[in-house]
Amino acid sequence: MIEIQDALRKKEIWAIGGGKGGIGKSLITGNIGIHLARLKKKVLLVDADLGGANLHTTLGIGVPEMTLSDFLNRRAENIQDVIIKTSIPNLSLISGAQDFLDAANPNFAQKTRLLRHLETLDADYILLDLGAGTSFNILDFFLFSDHGILVVLPEPTAIENAYRFIKSAFYRRFKKVVASQNIKDLIDAAMDQKNTMGIRTPYDLIERVKQMEREVGEILELEVLKFRPKLIVNQVRTKNDIQIGFSMKSACQKYFGINVEYLGYVEYDDCVWQSIRSKRPLAIEYPYSRPSRCIERIVHNLLRKEQLTASMLY
Amino acid sequence: MMKKIEDLNYYELLEISPTASSQDIHKAYERIRRVYEPNSVALYSLFSSEETAAIHQRIEDAYRTLVYEDNRKRYDALLRLQNDLPEPLPAPSNYDRRQDQPALSPSDKRSLNEAEALPSPVEEPQKTREEAAPVPQFIAEFSGAAIKMLREQRGLSLRNIADISKVGIRYLELIEEENFQKLPVRAYTRGFLQLYAKVLGCDPQRVCDDYLKRFDAAREPKTK
Repeated sequence: MIEIQDALRKKEIWAIGGGKGGIGKSLITGNIGIHLARLKKKVLLVDADLGGANLHTTLGIGVPEMTLSDFLNRRAENIQDVIIKTSIPNLSLISGAQDFLDAANPNFAQKTRLLRHLETLDADYILLDLGAGTSFNILDFFLFSDHGILVVLPEPTAIENAYRFIKSAFYRRFKKVVASQNIKDLIDAAMDQKNTMGIRTPYDLIERVKQMEREVGEILELEVLKFRPKLIVNQVRTKNDIQIGFSMKSACQKYFGINVEYLGYVEYDDCVWQSIRSKRPLAIEYPYSRPSRCIERIVHNLLRKEQLTASMLY
Repeated sequence: MMKKIEDLNYYELLEISPTASSQDIHKAYERIRRVYEPNSVALYSLFSSEETAAIHQRIEDAYRTLVYEDNRKRYDALLRLQNDLPEPLPAPSNYDRRQDQPALSPSDKRSLNEAEALPSPVEEPQKTREEAAPVPQFIAEFSGAAIKMLREQRGLSLRNIADISKVGIRYLELIEEENFQKLPVRAYTRGFLQLYAKVLGCDPQRVCDDYLKRFDAAREPKTK
């Protein structure tokens, strides 16, 4: 218990992404926020889905007056001005941008200003709800966070996008730590799965970088060890669906050499759909439902820095 | 240190420690082979079907090497030569985890004496591992005799099979003898067959289909 308390004292930024749209990122972010707020933690939810914000809807809030676009376009100078209080104690929200094009594609200066301001905010937890896709903005929010969480559905489409997301985030992280333009170009080229250099896996890439500059290759190897995204499998219906999380963990270890932590799964249930239809948060409308319980368990795993173990399935 | 998937040693491949017991090896194998089975949804877009097949084959090799004690000792020695065994080696006696096995059921005890008389796999001359993995061409149908032959060819005693599969030796014997009248009802026999087939590394579905055809043919006249 003392460990949990200690873990809670420091401000942490968690980013929830996953590559594919419609896999429950906003729903999970919102409900993780509610569970944390119930543990008397000061939580700020940030809808970083700049082109398709709807985190406010999963919390049952209408379109807010002040949104992230006001901050990005400097209609609000301080990020404090766009924070709105929710009806849940300890939980506040920065709603996503509501206007088109401009805010969906912030330039570098806007993005760094946003990240800089986020760091100054007073909260125990800041949860970033990322949009779909693997655009640089999304990847940068993911890499900026203390913990990157990936949501995936037990379906080939979502899994494909999750791997693409991991790979993109991974290579973007590589690019950030290397200075040499030659190696940056090599990383860009390696992103193309059909590249002619025979680089298929991160292992191949690192080997190639080592041939060019040994020390840089070793730095990249260290980066591999530091990159530990977390995984949530949403909408599980069967035991095999739960197993997919362990399988992805194993595949990531063997393919990327990275250690993915399997945080937990969320069971499929109609009550999720009903709560969205009624525009009320799941954790409030159906607090004892199985999906809500699953999210609660994920929050506990996050706080205790634990993950699921395969032995629970056998 | 990152390793290419082909360079992982058998322990790393099965995600177990070099001191894992035979039960741990079996459990890990069951889990990992399911991850890398063809068309595994969790691997979608990451590995091609050829790559998955190659990994799957390596997992089979890994299991068949590590699950037999003397093969494992030889493999460990090889790893030690290559300095690829990360943790200190367990004393040889650590390999013998039989004391960890659950107590035998009364039905097993009846054939315990016979089982003790069977040569242990360590003393038995081992067939080469290369022969072990694929199902030999000459097996057209998985009859009791064919299963027994396959087991003997793989250097496994009934005791080994019973230890891993947790199926009583008596049932394994009845399966091999095709003693259809004494075997339990179809559903149980099917379950035992599946477990037996998995230990042998055969396709459980095929073994069950073949064997139960014979089982049904023998039992049918009586039920009518």
